[in-house]
Amino acid sequence: MTGQTELRTEENDVDERQRQRAAASELSRLIQRIALGDRAAFDRLYARTSAKLFGVCLRILNDRSEAEEVLQDTFIKIWRRADGYAVTDLSPITWLVAVARHQAIDRLRRRKPHTAELADAVTIVDERQPDPEALAIATGEIQMLDRCLGELEENRAAAVRGAYLDGLSYAELARRHEVPLNTMRTWLRRSLMKLKDCLRR
Amino acid sequence: MTAQDELTGDDALAAEYVLGVLAPDERQDVVERIARDRGFARLVDDWEARLGGLSEEYAEATPPAHIKTAVDRRLFEDAAQPPSGLWESLAAWRTIAGVLAALLVLLVVVPVLRPTFVPEAPRLVALLDSENSAVSYLAIYEPQTGSVALSRVGAGEQANRDFELWVINKDEAPVSIGVIPPGEAVRVALGDALRGHVRAGANLAISLEPKGGSPTGRPTGPVVAMGELRNI
Repeated sequence: MTGQTELRTEENDVDERQRQRAAASELSRLIQRIALGDRAAFDRLYARTSAKLFGVCLRILNDRSEAEEVLQDTFIKIWRRADGYAVTDLSPITWLVAVARHQAIDRLRRRKPHTAELADAVTIVDERQPDPEALAIATGEIQMLDRCLGELEENRAAAVRGAYLDGLSYAELARRHEVPLNTMRTWLRRSLMKLKDCLRR
Repeated sequence: MTAQDELTGDDALAAEYVLGVLAPDERQDVVERIARDRGFARLVDDWEARLGGLSEEYAEATPPAHIKTAVDRRLFEDAAQPPSGLWESLAAWRTIAGVLAALLVLLVVVPVLRPTFVPEAPRLVALLDSENSAVSYLAIYEPQTGSVALSRVGAGEQANRDFELWVINKDEAPVSIGVIPPGEAVRVALGDALRGHVRAGANLAISLEPKGGSPTGRPTGPVVAMGELRNI
């Protein structure tokens, strides 16, 4: 009985990996067609990925109207830079999230300091778990990154997450963790070195 | 503590850029460096890949419907006009589509009906067009001769620019077939290596390039027409 359950889980894993690969290849194809000026492909990519990328903008900016503007800029960049995707080895969703994240972080850094404090708290309208097929990041890679972050000291891992997920600057991280800025820089650079070594294993 | 404990140099810069902790002017420098330094760009990509798994934690949130409308307006109404009068109205373009249908019959069906013309392998046909441009060609690939016959139906060539023909297979980069010679009905011969790329389901695309074709081996100008190859 136990054996059967395990077998079924393995089959499910294989199914999920296949679905993820198919979804990634579909996104990949859409981005390539966008590079060739295909507007229908652009519409489909928007339908498939805008909720995820809006989630990225909202989390980093924590301001709905700014997030809406940055989401527009993100898709304009995707249309114009789609040919750049061909020369990366990134998975399509990683490439797309990178475009949105950097667009949002640039916007965040351009804000005047007081604006950030006044920003409205945002309620995320859709609390669903991200759809793994639309995400199409290989489950194994996520598990490995989790394991490697787990090997860092807790506050170091929190600093890495805070920077990546919330777009916190060195100064904000230093304030939040109550350490001098240079200490925070050393924390992160050592943590990144450890992550790099761990992910290589 | 050895130097190995801490990330240094370009690798540190790439990682800190991806993490998002750099100051605005430093970020700007990194973006410029990525554009001109392929080796550095690869370091950045490596970090995007390493940390990309974290992005699973971003919760999805459906954006309001007006966002896509605004994106389309910004991309296709304000800024997308090319420097010349190549683009035309949708109405004009619809008329061309009608003419194309008639041509398709003349060029493809009629020769097949002739008893003396019996193709050994199926020919492939593609209608190359785009909503964004008035350029359009009917392309027929003939396996016997290994050549693509092109019949121009839409707008003609542009001064000082060439149309370049590409074949694109799923998940592959575009492969150049060559610059399309001027004229209404022309033929481009394919070398043996190229013939392997031309098959049903592949796309043919035409990009606007400097005279003599793309200097980089990839499309550099706007794609003015595209279509899928089908068996006929």
